[in-house]
Amino acid sequence: MTTPTPLSRHILTLADTKRLLGIRYSDWILGSPSIETGIAASSMAQDEWGHARLLYAMLKKQGFDPFEVEHTRPAGRYYSAPALDRPFADWADFTAAVVVVDGALSVALESFAAGDFALARTRVPKMLAEEEYHLQFGSAWFARLADAGGDAQARLHESAMAMLPSTLAWLLPGDDVYDDLVAEGRVWAAEQVREGCRNRLAATLARAGITLADLEPDRNGWDPERRRGPGAPGEEAVERARGDRNRDLFVE
Amino acid sequence: MTPPLGESVYEVFARKNRGEPLRHIGYVDAPGVELARVYAWKTYDEENWFEMCVVPRGAVIPVNRPEGPWARNLPEAEEER
Repeated sequence: MTTPTPLSRHILTLADTKRLLGIRYSDWILGSPSIETGIAASSMAQDEWGHARLLYAMLKKQGFDPFEVEHTRPAGRYYSAPALDRPFADWADFTAAVVVVDGALSVALESFAAGDFALARTRVPKMLAEEEYHLQFGSAWFARLADAGGDAQARLHESAMAMLPSTLAWLLPGDDVYDDLVAEGRVWAAEQVREGCRNRLAATLARAGITLADLEPDRNGWDPERRRGPGAPGEEAVERARGDRNRDLFVE
Repeated sequence: MTPPLGESVYEVFARKNRGEPLRHIGYVDAPGVELARVYAWKTYDEENWFEMCVVPRGAVIPVNRPEGPWARNLPEAEEER
């Protein structure tokens, strides 16, 4: 496989996170609080997979075979956000992930669309338009659980706090690769990403008593190659992401 | 059908092209306007809609058919309640 450049590693970070997020959303198509909520979860899962596919396709001109990237990598070579390594335990996890992980992804995409990579400039704005419904969904459900108080609020707070430090590190890796991306004009500088993060997440998180400004990215056990914290997505999720069970049926 | 606890019914209207009349395409149950908008867009996504709106079912006032599904919104029905 071609040695990843900063740009191709950034694309993998975004694409793998979208792919895993789609899987985690899809787990709640049935069993979510209402039929409408399940339909929304299904649609959001499809959005994420569609976006992942477009992002993987961007790797073609970076010297990668998108098929190989999508369908052959082991779990240990996924660049996805650590908050998605395990399935969501309950609806509080789902809601927290829509706000924290999907929200961070959207900030990263805004940053990418504003850079000078032509494919990102042309393809990402449509993704962001679709993401607006994820944002509305996340903020409305987050407010609903937060305002309910009691166990609902406590679980939501716990879920969001468990996801935030590793997701902030994923969004703001503070590494040489990110510095190179900024220098190449591919993405926003870190301070602008922080501002985007504040604009998108701070008010929603405050509903559950979480102050975004008080949180620090958790880079313990940082994997410099995959640009994320330790661990990897569960094998079952990666088998689904790769399409292992349909391997003999691929027709593309 | 009665919506789940704490939810209201929102009627969904949409048009495919500018200048076409809005037409009633269905309804969703939602706990508020924000989620009603998301649920409507995500549920009725079979078309590339030019415009979609949601209206609380309680805001639809029948004009000529007092026995229809919105009869309960008539002023006389309000007084009886």
